[in-house]
Amino acid sequence: MDMDQAEKQAFERYLLAMADDELILGHRNSEWCGHAPLLEEDIAFANIALDEIGHASTWYAILSEFTGKDPETHPDRLVYFRDASDFHSARLVELPNGDWAFSMLRQYLFDAYEMVKLRELERSRYLPLAGAAAKIRKEELYHYRHTSAWIKRLGLGTEESHRRLQNALAALWPYTRQLFTPVAGEDLVVSSGFGSPSEVVEIAWREQVVPLLEESGLQLGHLSNLVPDVSRYDGSRDQHTPHLKVLVTELQSVARLEPDSSW
Amino acid sequence: MNDTQLPRFQVFLQEQEGQPHQDVGSVHASDAEMALQNARDVFVRRPECTSLWVVPAEAIYSRTAEELAKEGGEKKEAGGEGAENPGLSGETEIYCVFSKAKSAGTQTLVGEVQATSPAEALGEGIARFAGGKAPFAWWVFPARLITRSQPQDIESMFLPALDKPFRLSTDFHTQTAMREIRDRKP
Amino acid sequence: MYGATVDPVEQVNEDEKLREFEARIGRGEKIEPGDWMPEEYRRQLIRMISQHAHSEIVGMLPEGAWITRAPSLRRKMILLAKVQDEAGHGQYLYHAAETLGASREEMLEALLAGRAKYSSIFNYPTLNWTDVGVIGYLVDFAAILNQTMLARCSYGPYSRAMVRICAEENFHKKQGQDIVIQMARGTPRQKAMVQDAINRWWWPTLMMFGPNDSDSPNTPILMRWGIKTRTNDQLRQAFVNQVVPELHDLGLSVPDPDLSFDETSGDWQFGEIDWDEFWRVVKGQGPCNKERMEARRSAHTDGAWVREALAAYAARQR
Repeated sequence: MDMDQAEKQAFERYLLAMADDELILGHRNSEWCGHAPLLEEDIAFANIALDEIGHASTWYAILSEFTGKDPETHPDRLVYFRDASDFHSARLVELPNGDWAFSMLRQYLFDAYEMVKLRELERSRYLPLAGAAAKIRKEELYHYRHTSAWIKRLGLGTEESHRRLQNALAALWPYTRQLFTPVAGEDLVVSSGFGSPSEVVEIAWREQVVPLLEESGLQLGHLSNLVPDVSRYDGSRDQHTPHLKVLVTELQSVARLEPDSSW
Repeated sequence: MNDTQLPRFQVFLQEQEGQPHQDVGSVHASDAEMALQNARDVFVRRPECTSLWVVPAEAIYSRTAEELAKEGGEKKEAGGEGAENPGLSGETEIYCVFSKAKSAGTQTLVGEVQATSPAEALGEGIARFAGGKAPFAWWVFPARLITRSQPQDIESMFLPALDKPFRLSTDFHTQTAMREIRDRKP
Repeated sequence: MYGATVDPVEQVNEDEKLREFEARIGRGEKIEPGDWMPEEYRRQLIRMISQHAHSEIVGMLPEGAWITRAPSLRRKMILLAKVQDEAGHGQYLYHAAETLGASREEMLEALLAGRAKYSSIFNYPTLNWTDVGVIGYLVDFAAILNQTMLARCSYGPYSRAMVRICAEENFHKKQGQDIVIQMARGTPRQKAMVQDAINRWWWPTLMMFGPNDSDSPNTPILMRWGIKTRTNDQLRQAFVNQVVPELHDLGLSVPDPDLSFDETSGDWQFGEIDWDEFWRVVKGQGPCNKERMEARRSAHTDGAWVREALAAYAARQR
């Protein structure tokens, strides 16, 4: 593989963004364990969290291999010994869980994003990525099935569930912008055939989510024009809300007690 | 208002192709699609499964051999049998027939029959599937009421369980570790 | 189909039925839903099974709290898998209790109202990550001993649920033991954390096996009807005999000054359990009783609008 420094760094950022997204989202999901509105969701959402952490592990391992590090040990170094400001996760996934409508909608919007992005990545010229994308996508299909079922039931359930879901949509929609903002150097990742362009992913995502949201009785109206003021909701993946630092501090608290030991 | 009582759905699982579906238990869910997903999360965290069915529990018509013998001795009025079962069409449709050989064990699929009522389906089932030794108990229900996983769902619903080896005790080598520790002791 | 009731127009002598029932149990036969059973048998089983189910559900909380702080990706996934299993076990058990005529709604209502019991071990706090390991190693092993016995119990659905649960519980114990071994062989601080956790969890774990046989009024009838096949003290001794040598091999001690090995019986003799503490915690005055119930109640109350939405959607589909 003959890549120059700029291409390599761009691909690292691309992979890191995917890995960090899954890690932070899986972490958020795991906070529902034991507190879900029904016992069935304690299992279901814990299962989704488990899958997400697994996906994160896969991406971190691929990134480790690509950068010549040990895929067995380097992922934990990345997760537990980076500062919050060095994470490349989207702000969408670091937001606190809110109520069930908020969490289900956030998960749904992200599941749809993953499903369409992974379909593109199955064609990546970087074979480890292509293989992982194919495998992970199968699990994502089940997540999508689960969360889309919830969106329908909440959207078309009671007046209260509908209201909560509509509010969640207003709060979350602006954050989806960042999912389709190219990471720095994405053009190099695309030209090398390793990754897919964000615009393509965005079009496919809208084709997926807009009908489902409308089917669920939600008003999209003004939301389909994404907020043009980029200062709050756009920007690079190095910009985070204050929530991420709190999350990462908790996540790393035990591991950092003994940085050179294993647990 | 007590709302922890969602309807109950019986769950049937087929481990491998060619094997009969078996009763594994039940789940509570607000509707059939959620029941199917719940069933997967509750019963298929570990391999193996190729097909999963959920059926509203109230739709299952069940009789033990003992009950049948008792009923056979009495004259039953026509139409009295199916009263407890919703979805009774009076039209001919496919019924799934399950039985278990002994008191212990679980209900296993033995075949399908065409009938116009659960009682008739059971009669047909007994005639065709009882064999030499009469089974201990029977379940029948219209196939129409099954919500089932599709073959294309296997890779997203059931295969991922294979990639989670840490759910199995064999993934932890505690016995080896303890043996090493003991061997190192003077 | 489930919850068969005794025919009020019973022609046959009740004593005769009871004799037949006990003879079946004596022959090692399973009692299945729909079979005749004494009301006391049904009552005891519903009590035991629902308490067991509640324990699984409440048990998700002390460990679930540490998922966010699990110190490696692997440990994070393992703990998520474990907690899922526990919710699943709760499901299997509620189902088994339902076959006896209990309703899940009533059982959950009783739990949330504080009327139902669950294993007191979960009323103790998990103070740090090490507790996750020690709970897996000690508490889940104690549960396995109990459940392995119950897998032979006379009531079919309960014994079958136990078989499935035992198979999955093995991984719970091993992952906990794995954590303890890792830390016992780790840094001085890690080793000190493990010893501290053992010191805090040892006696509560021994209490899991229940009162001494002499103080267990339920035990004789449960043994007679094949619901229990070993007594509290027998199981407790089996636990101690297995775990003490392992802890010693790891360089860990047990917080019991009266612990000594009896050459004749081959048993590790241990000190007297603090029964005052046992009964206090059983009666709801343990360190976390309130907190655990608050958490489940909140989840239930906060989730009411969600369940209503599900019901409304389902009604509209019909």
